[in-house]
Amino acid sequence: MLFYVARCAAQLAVALVGIVTVAFFLMRAIPGDPAIYMLGDYATTESLAALRARLGLDLPVWQQYGMFLASAARGDLGASVVTGQSALAEIWSAVPPSAELAVAGMAIAIAFGVPLGIVAAVRQGTFVDVAVMALALGGISFPVFWLGLVAILVLSHDMGLFPALGATSEPGLWPAIHHLALPALVLGLSVAAYIARLTRSAMLEVLGQDHIRVARAMGVPERRIVWHLALRNAAIPILAVIGVTFAWSLGNAILVEAVFSRPGLGSTILKAILARDYQLVQAGVLVLAAAVVLLNTLLDLVYGAIDPRLRKA
Amino acid sequence: MTAATFELRGLTAAVPGETGAVRLVEEVSLSVSAGETLAVVGESGSGKTVTFTSALGLLPKPGRVIEGQALYNGTDLLSLAPESLRRVRGAQIGMVFQDPLTGLNPVFRVGDQIAEVLRAHLSIGRREARERAVQLLARVQIPDPARRVHDYPHQFSGGMRQRVLIAMAIALGPRVLIADEPTTALDVTVQAQILDLLSELREEEGMAMVLITHDLGVVARQADRIAVMYSGRVVETGRVDEVFRAPRHPYTISLFRSIPDLDAPAGTMLAPIAGAPPDPQRRPSGCAFAPRCFAAREADGCMSRRPLLTDEGHAVACHRQGMLEQAA
Ligand SMILES: Nc1ncnc2c1ncn2[C@@H]1O[C@H](COP(=O)(O)OP(=O)(O)OP(=O)(O)O)[C@@H](O)[C@H]1O
Ligand code: SF4
Ligand SMILES: [Mg+2]
Repeated sequence: MLFYVARCAAQLAVALVGIVTVAFFLMRAIPGDPAIYMLGDYATTESLAALRARLGLDLPVWQQYGMFLASAARGDLGASVVTGQSALAEIWSAVPPSAELAVAGMAIAIAFGVPLGIVAAVRQGTFVDVAVMALALGGISFPVFWLGLVAILVLSHDMGLFPALGATSEPGLWPAIHHLALPALVLGLSVAAYIARLTRSAMLEVLGQDHIRVARAMGVPERRIVWHLALRNAAIPILAVIGVTFAWSLGNAILVEAVFSRPGLGSTILKAILARDYQLVQAGVLVLAAAVVLLNTLLDLVYGAIDPRLRKA
Repeated sequence: MTAATFELRGLTAAVPGETGAVRLVEEVSLSVSAGETLAVVGESGSGKTVTFTSALGLLPKPGRVIEGQALYNGTDLLSLAPESLRRVRGAQIGMVFQDPLTGLNPVFRVGDQIAEVLRAHLSIGRREARERAVQLLARVQIPDPARRVHDYPHQFSGGMRQRVLIAMAIALGPRVLIADEPTTALDVTVQAQILDLLSELREEEGMAMVLITHDLGVVARQADRIAVMYSGRVVETGRVDEVFRAPRHPYTISLFRSIPDLDAPAGTMLAPIAGAPPDPQRRPSGCAFAPRCFAAREADGCMSRRPLLTDEGHAVACHRQGMLEQAA
């Protein structure tokens, strides 16, 4: 088990280095010069050169990369060229609203997706199954910003159930939840569709296995068979799809934040890209990637806890 | 004759096919009483498993029983509400399946799986269920049961897994035990151990046992009566000694050709017969065995009429049985 944990940790480190590397070179591959952005179009050649030298932008790219890795290893991702503040600190301050949205969205996705998938599998071929799968197909097919706009139009504008703005400065828990509800619902339901489809197919596979027939022959109640014996077997593919859709829903969260005018990582990173604020973008990518990789590492550990056969490997 | 503990009457089970219902088993009648072992033999695909799974309401959808009864102590299981049937399964009638390697749930400890069966029928707590699980593992001769209850299925050998499955099947002291080729997937040495265990348990508990097998040596040693199945039907049934001494159905005769007497050693398998059994979708209209039968004759109706099982102790479903006996 200890070895298993160590292996997960090593995978985590490798994944993070790989992701920041890609982000580093991608940012430098797109045209644009942060020095010009900071000093404006009328800056003199000398002052531009001086700023580039100060930022280290005159060095060869591989040398910049080396310096970046060295300081990143110490936890220093540089300062935002726009505000001059620590890039990591600036990104960090945008994390809470995004984390709220992502967590609420995933919670809704799991709360709807898993039970619907199970019910569809148990009622395979019936009206319930067909209805759930049609809904799921709809959830997958419509882009999340379209869903967001429709939600605003119907639930907020026409019915007045929720505010159209996804955030509030009003204090208190209730206003915060009330404003978060609609964006989280939009984000969650599109992910729920994926989870429902996968849960259904995972459950169908397990329910056809020999040990389930044995449990039935032994008189174990059907409810117990589905929600306990079969579900634990289906848990690994279900968790795997949750891990995959988490990365995907972070991407969607940026769109949802835009549609509902919510502050968060989405708007922060978008602004940084437009400003060629290399340090801020890198810090943002690192935080997003760390969230995805951490979740997946956590899931790897959970897999081991669920399936004893995986612990040996 | 004492009343049978478990009796099938005219059981017919079918799945929907392109051209109407496909009858997997047809008009199967057989019975087994307390303390008795009924062997069920027949080629692969002859309907042995379907017969007993459908009798217990376990035939996977869209398969269903379209006719007949499955009587347990006189109660027709097929007329019971699902919840009442569930209470019979596992508690009154235990079943051991063909493949022990996949029969246990890979993500639960074996002790918990046995406890799950106990708790499905008894209102006992976790602790008590766990204690009983240890006793049951000991009962099926698994060494060091107190430690082994905590293990997962992949930590057991095939033979040990079959023992665990047998422990689950006898956990509630069922009156009927159906063992469906319990040893086919196991090593030869382990096969004998499992069969010995089963017959020991049957004797101690006085259960009625149905033993589905391909091994005629096992039939000779362990069974009191035998039912031979072919293409979804029972074609011959009777006491083992009677049927072994004087098989009457051409199919049985062909199967037994290699073993003339009751002293068949263990591991004597059914003799292969030229040709293959018909697909349940395309059974010939007369006797299903006609295409492979050495005695088939149009004049006796072999190709046009379905032979029905006679109604005696040693019963046969063949148009020509009288003539065959005269010839013998
Ligand atoms: N759920 C099902 N749906 C459709 N056909 C089935 C189903 N189960 C079994 N069959 C068919 O019914 C026939 C009888 O199958 P069954 O499993 O009872 O044979 P068996 O005598 O137990 O054979 P074996 O010795 O290989 O276990 C076979 O032709 C099989 O293909
Ligand atoms: S009925 Fe005819 S074909 Fe069928 S087993 Fe008897 S002799 Fe052979
Ligand atoms: Mg079978």
